[in-house]
Amino acid sequence: MKRAPILRGFTLFYLLFLYSPILLLPIFAFNESKVMAFPLQGFTLTWFVEMASDQNLRNAAKNSLIIALSVATLSTVLGIFAARASVRYRFPGKAPLMSMIMLPLVLPEMIVAMALLVVLLSLNIPLSLFTVILGQVLICTPFAVAILTSAFQSLDRSLEEAALDLGETPWSTFRLIILPLVMPGIMASFLICFTISFDEFIIANFLGSGQPILSVYIFGQFRFPAKVPSMLALGTVLVCFSIILLGFAEYMRRRGIAKAGGKDSGGFL
Amino acid sequence: MAQTPGSEARTGLKLISPTAIYVILLLAVPLATVLIYSVMTGGRGIVAFPLTFENYAQLWSKSVYGYIMFKSLMVALAVTFITVMLAYPVAYFVSFHVKPERKSLWLFLITIPFWTSYIIRVSLWFVILGYDGLLDKALMALGIMDSQLNFASYGIPAIIFVLAHAYAPFAVLPIFVSLEKVDRSLLEAGQDLGESRWVTFLRVTLPLSMPGVIAAALIVFIPTVGDYVTPKLVGDGKEPMIANFIETQLLRLQNMPQGSAFAVASMLMVGIVSVIFVLLNRRFLGGSK
Amino acid sequence: MTFSDDRPTMIEFKDVHKYYGDYHALRGINGSIRAGEFFSLLGPSGCGKTTLLRTIAGFEDISSGVIMIDGKDMVGVAANVRPTNMVFQSYAIFPHMTVEENVGFGLRKDPRSKEDKARAVAEALEMVGLKGFGKRAAHALSGGQRQRVALARALILKPKVLLLDEPLSALDKKMREHMQVELIKLQRQVGITFILVTHDQEEALVMSDRIAVMFEGEIAQLADPETLYRRPATRKVADFIGTMNFIPAEILSESGDAVEVEAKGLGRVALDIAQAPAKTGETPVVGLRPETLTLLYDDQKAPERETDGVIDEVIYFGDMTYYDVYLGGTDVEVRLSMRNVPGRPVLDVGTKVRVAWSPSALVLFR
Repeated sequence: MKRAPILRGFTLFYLLFLYSPILLLPIFAFNESKVMAFPLQGFTLTWFVEMASDQNLRNAAKNSLIIALSVATLSTVLGIFAARASVRYRFPGKAPLMSMIMLPLVLPEMIVAMALLVVLLSLNIPLSLFTVILGQVLICTPFAVAILTSAFQSLDRSLEEAALDLGETPWSTFRLIILPLVMPGIMASFLICFTISFDEFIIANFLGSGQPILSVYIFGQFRFPAKVPSMLALGTVLVCFSIILLGFAEYMRRRGIAKAGGKDSGGFL
Repeated sequence: MAQTPGSEARTGLKLISPTAIYVILLLAVPLATVLIYSVMTGGRGIVAFPLTFENYAQLWSKSVYGYIMFKSLMVALAVTFITVMLAYPVAYFVSFHVKPERKSLWLFLITIPFWTSYIIRVSLWFVILGYDGLLDKALMALGIMDSQLNFASYGIPAIIFVLAHAYAPFAVLPIFVSLEKVDRSLLEAGQDLGESRWVTFLRVTLPLSMPGVIAAALIVFIPTVGDYVTPKLVGDGKEPMIANFIETQLLRLQNMPQGSAFAVASMLMVGIVSVIFVLLNRRFLGGSK
Repeated sequence: MTFSDDRPTMIEFKDVHKYYGDYHALRGINGSIRAGEFFSLLGPSGCGKTTLLRTIAGFEDISSGVIMIDGKDMVGVAANVRPTNMVFQSYAIFPHMTVEENVGFGLRKDPRSKEDKARAVAEALEMVGLKGFGKRAAHALSGGQRQRVALARALILKPKVLLLDEPLSALDKKMREHMQVELIKLQRQVGITFILVTHDQEEALVMSDRIAVMFEGEIAQLADPETLYRRPATRKVADFIGTMNFIPAEILSESGDAVEVEAKGLGRVALDIAQAPAKTGETPVVGLRPETLTLLYDDQKAPERETDGVIDEVIYFGDMTYYDVYLGGTDVEVRLSMRNVPGRPVLDVGTKVRVAWSPSALVLFR
């Protein structure tokens, strides 16, 4: 490879820019001072203890987990249906239906949230964690479809035919051949949807019932300087959590491609 | 699994129906509702007949609507421009100067910040750039400033800065993908024909990677133009953008028809800008044939 | 090599048509394949040979007509209950299973005991020369090994018909030739009807008892390899199977099976057309395989006919030499094996030569 010192320097600087707020998280989360300022005052775990003992935060975290697990499951299941149908079959109305499913990718999230809210209100459906789940599934499904489509595409169609040829029914073929081979894609989709849902703010804020949800809670707490240190501690925990999840998702995705005998062709998006 | 075209279509439709029904009920129907509301009369939580285009006329006549849209458009375009300009050299570096087996590691490093809590990243900027925040402390300690700069209160520039940071990783991936597709022998051919490296870049690499650049622009533009959190936190919330304004109209003022009309108009604007991007992309794709 | 024609019919096609939308992929396929036969579907890509194979397997419905397998109408019978098994072009080895699991896949619903099944798998592996490979992971196999696994997996179910979709095309030349011989041996051993799809005419000629040559969704000729080679039914078949010199000819007289033609460069020839292809309305030409021609050296005499000519071009292949000889009004290709003319030098362009030929080797297309 040719050396390119200027480009390399620029890229490293860019990465530093990208990471700068995230790198500050652990630095100040373990810092004794209540205000974010250098020089650092000394190592402490106070903020982590404070975070862990915050009952509201624990509620919010529990609700967020419930939402994220439900959203990831539902989106992935809906994604499996759509991706399998679009990869394997030709049918009338395929292009408009697929566009509709992928539409939230190109729609400002606020509009999705408001449109849904307007309908829910006019139908007198009370807002709850459930309505948040309904909304976030819309946002996450396109990601699930994208990931699963590439998983289904890397599947050689003659594998299915071979199983049928050897006496299996379409359903047992799906169970014995297709499902195990796309399983890594399913796992990746689940993890990505989980992460998106866990982070999501707009729908959680507007379709939630006022029950605490983590992203909404964080947004509120940052306004109070006294709460900032424990939020930094929480941020540190969440960043570590995300990185572990994403690393795992990426590992799954690659294993899936390798298993199906395909070639790696890119990242998540 | 013997299949006539008819049975294939039936199986396909059956398979996609759960997802399709979900999306129709929870996306298509609500969007249609908003569209209908936008041509109804009413206010304070009520919608009523007769149908009217008055709401759209209001959008034209009252300058605040136009101002919000124009401002959001300009902020989003500025953010798009900055992120793409910053991302291109990075994508170029990873594509051309990183060993193939290291590429996915670099991409992974670049994408991680995007997947880590958006709320926390934006809120952190609020703390860093805000009054007496880390930036102010640093500037004052270094003697550059003698009072708090409070950059977070600087409205639009602060919003642009924070958004450009938040969506930066989005832009790298599509540009990288299009650069990867550039046939390396074309570059050698260019240099073989006596072009300098820079001219080869301008005449071969850049045009061939334009589809990626435009895809990157689109990927950054759409979420930024509809961003809610950043304008709310940064700039003291005094510079609302489309999403914040929709909230005000629909929830605070409960003006369903007017808010719906504004939402539809915003969608239309995003749609038009996106179509322009896509058409530009077509032109580049067509030109490269 | 050819079997007698009294074997029972295994597969029968009656006016089979297949449409993909407007595209007419199979245009009235008729014919039958006999039990225990090694049968090939040969043709260029897009001729419908793979489609025909897939209609036998049940992966494609037919638009009209009848396909019978072992006397039973297959319309509406799904692939998983047909008495056929397939070796796929990509081999379709299940990548998440071991060799053993792949081979034993079709036995899942077999009522036999675990031990019996394991024995059957071991036998199948031994038959294809993969004894001891059972525990290997499928993705760690070479191309040739994958193909053997695919064969064992299909044969373990003792199908009435084994379908092979271009099974050798992914292998290198040497491996391919080796597998051709093995496949023939295997077919003799198991006695099952094999139907091979291939675009390689040499492969089809070497391996098959009978061959159906297909063009544009139709069977152009269905015959044993020798007939196909010596008596091609159309110019197109003749051209696809090996090389043939086509020489413009004029029909002078015709009575019963005796025809007299004036062939350019060769002169007047009397032909027996008892076995000649049916009339197609083309302008008459006579076809002559390059291998049936030879050059006469010194004072050699032609056993039958000879014609004077001049060498236009020489292509030297080591064991073979190809000459283009101008015979006055027409060029013919002559292929000489160095074994037949030992000690003779390769002739130069411009050399005057005498070409020996036999009227009985001429095929008249009209």
